Amino acid sequence: MTTTLNRPAASSHSAPKRALIERLNIFTALALGVISAVVIWRLALQFLPQDSEEAIFFNREDKITLLSMIAWFIGFMTGIGALIGPFRWLMGKDLSHDENMFYAGKDMGVKRYFRYTTDHKVVGIQYLVVTVVLFFIGGVLAMLIRTNLGNPEGGWIHPQAYNAIVGTHGIIMIVATIIMITGPFGNFIMPIMIGARDMAFPRLNALSLWLVVAAAAPILWGLAIGGIATGWTAYNPLASQAPLGQNGYIMFICIFAISTMVAGANITTTVIRMRAKGMTWNRTPIFIYGVVASVALALPAFPVFFLSQIMSAMDRAVGTSFYDARHGGSGWLYENLFWLMGHPEVYVILLPAVAALMEMAPVFTRNPLFSFNIAVMGIAGISGLSALVWAHHMYMSGWAPLLNIPFMLTTELISIPTGMLFLVLIGTLWRGRLWVTMPMASVFALLWNFMIGGVTGIYLSDIPADAFLHGSMYVTAHFHYTLMGAGLTGAIASLVYWFPKMTGRIFDAKLSWISFWMVQIGFQIAFMGMFIVGLAGQPRRVEGYAETFNTGNMVTTGGAYLIMSGMLVLLYALIYSWRNGEKASTNPWHSKTLEWTVANPIPLENFDVLPTLTTDAYGYGKEIR
Amino acid sequence: MSVDKSGVRQTTWWKKKDVKQTALIWIILTPILGYFSTEVQVRSMGAPASEIMASTINLMRIFTWTAAPVASLVFAMAGTILLSKSFYGNTPPPEVEVGYTNSPRANALWVVVSAVLCLFALVVGMVAVQRDSATLTDATAMEIKVTGQQWVWSYDYTDGSGVRSEVLYLPVNKPVVFHVTSVDVKHSFWIVQMGIKIDANPGYITETAVTPNKIGVFDVRCAELCGLLHAYMQNKVHVVSQADYDAWIKAQAKLEAATA
Repeated sequence: MTTTLNRPAASSHSAPKRALIERLNIFTALALGVISAVVIWRLALQFLPQDSEEAIFFNREDKITLLSMIAWFIGFMTGIGALIGPFRWLMGKDLSHDENMFYAGKDMGVKRYFRYTTDHKVVGIQYLVVTVVLFFIGGVLAMLIRTNLGNPEGGWIHPQAYNAIVGTHGIIMIVATIIMITGPFGNFIMPIMIGARDMAFPRLNALSLWLVVAAAAPILWGLAIGGIATGWTAYNPLASQAPLGQNGYIMFICIFAISTMVAGANITTTVIRMRAKGMTWNRTPIFIYGVVASVALALPAFPVFFLSQIMSAMDRAVGTSFYDARHGGSGWLYENLFWLMGHPEVYVILLPAVAALMEMAPVFTRNPLFSFNIAVMGIAGISGLSALVWAHHMYMSGWAPLLNIPFMLTTELISIPTGMLFLVLIGTLWRGRLWVTMPMASVFALLWNFMIGGVTGIYLSDIPADAFLHGSMYVTAHFHYTLMGAGLTGAIASLVYWFPKMTGRIFDAKLSWISFWMVQIGFQIAFMGMFIVGLAGQPRRVEGYAETFNTGNMVTTGGAYLIMSGMLVLLYALIYSWRNGEKASTNPWHSKTLEWTVANPIPLENFDVLPTLTTDAYGYGKEIR
Repeated sequence: MSVDKSGVRQTTWWKKKDVKQTALIWIILTPILGYFSTEVQVRSMGAPASEIMASTINLMRIFTWTAAPVASLVFAMAGTILLSKSFYGNTPPPEVEVGYTNSPRANALWVVVSAVLCLFALVVGMVAVQRDSATLTDATAMEIKVTGQQWVWSYDYTDGSGVRSEVLYLPVNKPVVFHVTSVDVKHSFWIVQMGIKIDANPGYITETAVTPNKIGVFDVRCAELCGLLHAYMQNKVHVVSQADYDAWIKAQAKLEAATA
């Protein structure tokens, strides 16, 4: 039984006095994680046999590092209290109602944000903080990259450190963008938006969050022992000869994949089973479709990623040869496994962002969503096709030249459902009454950025053009236009839009505008410059480059500094508004979705009486069909 | 003028002010956007040194001119919306009078046009693929084995001279097939100005082919992250006349015999 279903009339609760579950929090988790890692590291150092002759690289050190990281992971999850529920259930003594209420963070004040709390609103805020921290780390790394590239000879970072920074920036940003919408808003807003009291599996919800936190440590740890010198793709056999930091990547991905699968199962179940009475599929807000498509895509994609990294770890640590051509393996195997995850994954990032802006467009134009069915079809079409396009990342790999044309076909077909998303957005804005706010401006920014990202994507999907552009800075600029220009723009707009509901305060409008313009202008400067050096022939992930690319790189670096300054303004605005922002009314945007009907601050289980719907949330104006 | 179902007199859709405005912006924007995006891209790509690169540049031109009207239409509609009356402040403007939730005609038109454009892109791409791969099966082509190794390229001339070089010399206007492999990790063999690229995989041989058609010195770069000095894994390809090439290969062969 979950807490959401057992609601006694009067709750005179008192948690058991200083029971174990009350003592566990993030600090015990960190302590136990570190202690376990150190103990296992010492033991492994003592007892693991020396490498045999066949070991080509540092197998023993890999084993020690991996074992310590696994120990950290188990220690951390035990310390946070993730195992108490399953353990108690195993002993036949499941959690009592009071304990469940304690888990949900009832009357716990600010402490509940530092522990294994099951309330979806707490998890949403925790995800928001984790996302901001990851973006901050990734952003600082991006600045190091751009600063180094201000000078053609490479400048002041050692090539090994530079490669490590590039790889770490890549994977941290990928993970941050994967969780940036489904994490904070999918957890905080989504259940209220569908009229539920919590997620279907509140404990799994907390589990998915703390797995991300546990996963973040190995990657930072890895940075200290050589980093990820392989780019975020971690291609083999390069990854099997990379420094020990590569184990951080492997552990990071394995733990994060579990988190994504858990979250995916949870969100999908919640949306299918727990929508309010009357919320038929036709009346379910489009944002929900975006979130569900995102996690449903991740469900089959991430197990493949998990597997690919387990095999990578085995190649490194125990001398298997899944990816080693000298002993019967193949690097192409890794590439296939990686991109089987890697291509759906970009839509995991993109779809919820576009869907969030689709949710906002009607609110800020006071106009109904245009062609709901086409919007759903677009999201579904992209999701379906995205599973069939992975090998367009491998046109030039030589793996299966005869498959290039079929993959070109499926890739270019994606432009049709993508066009549908444009139709819905532009149709919603058309003849609306424009309410000029920062989220509204973000819809226009998305139209601009996603158009450029999409069109350059069509060039790249074309085999002869890809023969020139593949592996160049053009590709880097292209996916920044889609993931950052479209994805992150949507996430920042979501933050401003849903901030009043999440914190009870209005996000400072002036600062959000300043940040918006700095980020968007800096973004155009940075990545237009990058397109040009890519077309001129600069490969990606390089630490130095030919003199001719100097101007383009200087422009990009300048733009990047403007983006970072804008992001720092946003961070300041976030902290400032959270502490001192103007108090928000229940429905400051006069929106029609359910989350705006609950009072600020939102009560523990959201609704006293579960709502019943009779229409969709887009009933603006007199309807003409 | 026409009268709709509810009896309201309506202007025909193409005579409405916002439609006219969109059309105007669209007509002005399309050539500007098309011209500038094409020129910026094509100029950045530089002068081609092979038929394949020339055709790739042409492809970029075709795609950009195809995309320009589509992008311009979206931007023109967005621009028209931005130019319409906007509302500021903390309270929302009143809701629209009539909310259009659908337009089957617009939906159908949009999907059909995007499908046609998609088909067009596909056909153009397939034609180019066929043309580019013709060199691969050319019986008159010379063959060179390319080996990637952290962080140098080396070239074996398999025409009987037995020359192995770290600089690539090619005779102009003669088709050449590259058999590419690697001894350690994955690299990617990219002759920038000739528009060809293929990965060098350890344990496997991949192929690509080109006919250089311009005398000069061009760039070979590694396009796949291959470790510490990936950025510097590049050298030059010298395209020379047949006579110069013969002289070079003779000198190389002599040099190798002397050092052997």
